[in-house]
Amino acid sequence: MIATEKVSKVYQIADGEFYALKDVSINIKDHEFVSILGTSGSGKSTLMHIIGLLDRPSSGKVLIDDKDVSLLSDSELSSLRGQAIGFVFQQFNLIQKLTVLENILLPTQYVKGKLGFDAKKYAMELLTRFGISEKANIYPNRLSGGQQQRVAIARALIMKPTLVLADEPTGNLDSKTGEEILKLLESLNEELGVTVCIVTHDKNVAHRTKRQIFVKDGQIVAKY
Amino acid sequence: MNYFVFQIKTALSNFGRNKVRTVLTSLGILIGVLSVVILIALGLGLRNFIQGEFDSLGSNLLFILPGDVIGDDGQFSGGGGGGVISTSFDERDVSSLRSRINAEFIVPLYTSNARAQAGDITKSADVFASTQEAFTLFNFEPESGDLFNESDVTKRSKVVVLGNAIAKDLFGEPSNAVGQTVRFSEQRFKVLGVLKEEGGGNFGGPNFDRGLFIPYTTSFVTINTDRKFFAIYVRGSFEQDVEELKSQIERALLRRYDEDQFSVVKQTEVLNAIQSIFSIINTVLLAIGSISLVVGGIGIMNIMYANVTERTKEIGIRRAVGATKKDILFQFLTESVLLSVVGGVLAVVLAALIVAVVQQFFPLALDATAVLVALGISSAIGIFFGVFPARRAANLTPIEAIRYE
Repeated sequence: MIATEKVSKVYQIADGEFYALKDVSINIKDHEFVSILGTSGSGKSTLMHIIGLLDRPSSGKVLIDDKDVSLLSDSELSSLRGQAIGFVFQQFNLIQKLTVLENILLPTQYVKGKLGFDAKKYAMELLTRFGISEKANIYPNRLSGGQQQRVAIARALIMKPTLVLADEPTGNLDSKTGEEILKLLESLNEELGVTVCIVTHDKNVAHRTKRQIFVKDGQIVAKY
Repeated sequence: MNYFVFQIKTALSNFGRNKVRTVLTSLGILIGVLSVVILIALGLGLRNFIQGEFDSLGSNLLFILPGDVIGDDGQFSGGGGGGVISTSFDERDVSSLRSRINAEFIVPLYTSNARAQAGDITKSADVFASTQEAFTLFNFEPESGDLFNESDVTKRSKVVVLGNAIAKDLFGEPSNAVGQTVRFSEQRFKVLGVLKEEGGGNFGGPNFDRGLFIPYTTSFVTINTDRKFFAIYVRGSFEQDVEELKSQIERALLRRYDEDQFSVVKQTEVLNAIQSIFSIINTVLLAIGSISLVVGGIGIMNIMYANVTERTKEIGIRRAVGATKKDILFQFLTESVLLSVVGGVLAVVLAALIVAVVQQFFPLALDATAVLVALGISSAIGIFFGVFPARRAANLTPIEAIRYE
């Protein structure tokens, strides 16, 4: 359902061009649990940004449900990003001045037109499922790292996206909490059928997924 | 609708986190809008005041003044021929007018400065020498005692009617003055009465409250030995055509004077000329007031730029969860407009209070136009000075914004 075709990302540097990505073609199917594995500077984050429609490739195509998204306007891209893709970041990236519930509901505020479901009710369901329902009305800085990451995951799920992109989701957590978050992501894939793609440098994390894509020096070196 | 509520709530929650900064930024706009509103109120108040003064004289009033005072375009031309007024009128002109035109009042006026002395108190004052009709013409009424009458004019009586303020200066209470003696121009005058307080005199006009009103005939043997008048006032009866009266006067005076030696000015022409001067003054005052508005606007711009930088990461997060460029633009514009509109609204409230207090001493008037202008200007400032920072925020690429630390 989401695929790249010969995607390159080139930056102009002092002595010529630098390829952050070169002719990368990958294909992530619906309901997959997959990881993109690579060291720091390998280009895995750039790839994630392009798949997540946060960045545009210098050349090549990004296809979502076989539709080329390179021709979409900023508004179309933004609303597609908001509705089809959920992000989970290493730094959690919650807005500190919004409560837990407001953070989770944030993506729904940018939907033009009717939502089609009761977002608040769904947010509470997610919080209950993640065991933090009593935290709904407090601010993120009062939560532990693991709790903040659960809130971030709930925010990623609120629009019922088909793809959740998690960028080093356990990078800021101790191993026990990291394990809990990984189990949570696993259960999303298994129980809710959400496509989950984890971007990581950690082989142990990557091996929890059903398929790994190795990135090195801006190119795909191996796929399993 | 929900979207607007969401954007406004977002702006308010941001203000809540930076209370001091929000207050100071709004204060900049508040001062700017306040100065503009107060200046508009001042201009309007003066205009209404002058209008009122002229209206009380009646619209069928004409002034005969020496020189070519008012040009054909209705503007003051500056006293005619190099500013030296050589002509003045005398009793012959008055009787000539009396015999040739039919008017309710024909009142000559001579004015001069004098130092008035009563007991051991000496004060500066203005002498107004005229007929008893001047009191009716100017709607003057006595607070104590009487006004001088026709027989005082005929008999050249050494009597004086005092303006309210000069009477208080010389005798404490106006009622104490009646029957007393005032010395000026080396003559002694018996005080017949004291006028009610008139106000005026603040803007270069005659200050009747400091006036010493004497029969013009008396002035001929005291301070006005040249027997001249500086102006002659003519008031037509209610049903008389003012234009017709004006041309009658001109024909009468042309028998003796050249066209550029005198002016016959309708009250409305003087009013228009004064109003045109005030509108120039108002424009200048407004321009000065606007400077503080611009400074306030720059304050908003400065803070909004700081806001964008501080909240770069937040912008990135919002973009990642689906906010478009327009959403971000709108969010920051909402904040800057709210900042300036709140400042503007507070300024209007404060201006209303100031106007209510100052009105006791000075003519000020606040009207709906001033309020609307204030609110319009403050929202325009919010948009104008907010749009550049907001565009910077909107044009951040999501990926750079979200990586920002």
